[in-house]
Amino acid sequence: MSIKFTEEQEMIRESVREFAQSKIAPIALQMEETKEIPRDVVKGMAELGLMTCTADEKYGGAGLDAVSAGVIAEELAKADCTGSTCVYYLVPASWGFLLNKYGTEEAKQEIFPKTVSGEWFLGIATTESDAGSDVGATKTTIKPDGDGFVVNGEKMYISGVREAVTHGGGHITIAHQTPERGTRGMTTFYLPLTAEGITPTYIDDLGREGISCGGFSIDNVKIPKHYILGEENKGFYILHEGYEYARALISVICASAGLKSLENGMNYIKERKSFGKPLAQYQEINFRLAEHYTKLNMLRDLGYKALKTIDLEQAGKVGRFETSNIVAQAKMFCSDWACEAINDVMQWQGAFGYSRECPDQAAWRAVRSFSLAEGTKEIMKMIVARELLGKKQY
Amino acid sequence: MRFIVCVKQVPDTTEVKIDPETNTLIREGVPSILNPFDQFALEEAIKIKQEGDEIIVISMGPPQAKKALLKCLALGADKAILLSDRIFAGADTWATSYTLTRCIKKIGDFNIIFCGLQAIDGDTAQVGPEIAAQLGIPQITYCESVEKLEGKKLTAKVQTDDGYKIVETRLPILITGITPSSFEPTNPPMMSIMKANKKPFSTWDANELGGSKDNYGLNGSLTEVIKVYSPPARQQGVVIDEETAETAVQKLIDLLSKDKVI
Repeated sequence: MSIKFTEEQEMIRESVREFAQSKIAPIALQMEETKEIPRDVVKGMAELGLMTCTADEKYGGAGLDAVSAGVIAEELAKADCTGSTCVYYLVPASWGFLLNKYGTEEAKQEIFPKTVSGEWFLGIATTESDAGSDVGATKTTIKPDGDGFVVNGEKMYISGVREAVTHGGGHITIAHQTPERGTRGMTTFYLPLTAEGITPTYIDDLGREGISCGGFSIDNVKIPKHYILGEENKGFYILHEGYEYARALISVICASAGLKSLENGMNYIKERKSFGKPLAQYQEINFRLAEHYTKLNMLRDLGYKALKTIDLEQAGKVGRFETSNIVAQAKMFCSDWACEAINDVMQWQGAFGYSRECPDQAAWRAVRSFSLAEGTKEIMKMIVARELLGKKQY
Repeated sequence: MRFIVCVKQVPDTTEVKIDPETNTLIREGVPSILNPFDQFALEEAIKIKQEGDEIIVISMGPPQAKKALLKCLALGADKAILLSDRIFAGADTWATSYTLTRCIKKIGDFNIIFCGLQAIDGDTAQVGPEIAAQLGIPQITYCESVEKLEGKKLTAKVQTDDGYKIVETRLPILITGITPSSFEPTNPPMMSIMKANKKPFSTWDANELGGSKDNYGLNGSLTEVIKVYSPPARQQGVVIDEETAETAVQKLIDLLSKDKVI
C-alpha cells in the first residue's frame, strides 16, 4: 500500500506543483542552453521555502521532514526535464539536514539565513580524482591551526561550484585529520568556496546543465572551528546520514522523472499511427509501457519508504543500519529503471525522440547521472549485501 | 479591524463535465481547489491587513473543504471556520448566503467582508451580494483593488463597463472582487504551510448557527435546478480570409449559393 500523505504534505505538493509547472516547466530546456537556472527561478524557489527546507524554523527554514522534502523533489522532477532544479534543490535540502543536525549554533546562524533566502548555495564536495565511492581514499587534509583549522587538497565532480563561487556559499566536505586512523580519523566540515585559497575549475557535464559541475583546489584555506560538523575525527559516520538523505530523494526524483516521461510517451503513442493503427495498439509497445509503469511505481513507493525510514530514525524508532539498508535498496536501481523507461519513450517517438527539442532526451541525460551521484549503484549493492550477510562474512 | 473572507472549494476545472443521465456534475477524478476568485479576495484582505487586524475565512461545504481553508490559513488568514452539516446540502445561492450570514452574525463584530466575484463551478456571482442584503450593509461589487483604508473610510477601484471608478465608502462594507488579469496567485510557502494546521480551526453545524432549519440547504432554497446539461457542440465555422473585400464577398456568396441559402 502506498504511503499516505498528511494534509500539510498535500498542500506542499499543490503549492510546489503550481510554482514548478508555471515557472520552471516552460523554461526547462532553455536552461540547457544558458547553462544556468535563472536567478528569478532561484528567488521563487527560495520564497516558496524550498532552499535548505530542512533547516529549523529558527534559522528561517521550514523544518521539513524527509517525506515532505520528497514531495517537493517529486514535483520538481515532473516539471524540470533537465533535472537542474532538482539537483539545485536536493543538495541543499540533504546537506542542510546534516548541517542542521550536526552543525554548531554559530555556523547555522551564519549560513542558513543566506541559503534559505537563495542567495548562497550549500553543496556537498567529497569526490576527488582518486577517491569517489571510496571516501576513505580521500587525500584532502584538515589540521588544527591556532583557533581554527587549515585545509589542503582538491575536490572534483562537484555540483554547484560556480553558484557558490559567484553568489556565495560553500560545500560540506570531508578530509583526513588523523590519517593513521583511516576512516576513523576523518572530519566533516563546511568549506566556504569564497575563501582565499580556493581555485575553481569547471567540467562540461552530460546533463542537468542548468547547474554547474566542477572542482576546486584547496590551498592552505583557513576555516574557523565552528565550521566543524559534529565531533572531530568522526566525520566519516556523520557524512553517511547526508548521503542517505540525498539518495532517498534521488530515488523519488528518478521515479518521478520516469513516470513523467511515460506520460509523454503515452500521449504520443495514442496519437501516432503506424501501418494504420496507433502505436499504443502494438503489444511490443504497450507491454513495455506496463512494465516500466509498474517498476517506476515500485521505485516511488520504495523511495518514500526510505524517506519515511529516515524520519523514523530521527524520532529514534529505527536504527542507523536499517536506514542505510532501505535507502540503498531504493537508490540501487533508480537510475537504471528510469533510464530504461525514458529510453523506450525516446524510441517510440522516433527521430523526434533523438532531437534536442524532445524533453525526454534531457531527462534521460539527467537521470543517468544518478547511478553515480551520492553513491554509485555498486555501492548500494555492497550496503545491502553487507546488511544481509553481516560484516564478517562479507 | 476584523475582515471576514467567504471562500468555496470547487472542482479544479473550468470545463466541468455533466453526467447526461443524472444531470449532475461529474466530480470523479477532478481534484478540488480553492476557488481562484476567492483566493484573490483573500489576498486583497491580506494586502490591507495591519498589525492587530484579524482575517477569518469561512466556507460552507463537506468536511473535505477543510483543505481549501487550510490553504487560506497558509496564505495568511488567522482563523478558519467550516460550516458543515448534511442539512446544508442542496443549498441554492439564497440558502448558502443565509448560512454564511448566520455564521457572520455569530462571529460578531466585523469591518469588511470579502467575497470572490463568483465560484468557477456555478458562476452565479450572487452569494456575496445576497450576504450584504441579508446583513443589511452596503456592498461594492467588481472591486479590482482596495486602494486605501483609513480609519472607517475605504477607497476602492471598481471596474465599470467602460473603465474604472474610484469609490469611497464607510465601514462596514461587503466587497466582491474582480480578479485583474495581472493577478498572480501566491503559492503558500513551506513555512506557512507547516504553521497552518496550528492556527484556530472550527467546524460549525446548523445547531451552532441557530436560526430556522427550514432556511438551510434544499429546504431553504428559493430556486430549484430542473436540469443541467451541456449544450451540443457547434460545427466548426468557415473563415474567409481574402486579400480584398470584393473577393471575400464573392467567396461568401459562392458558399451561401452552394448551400442553397441564397
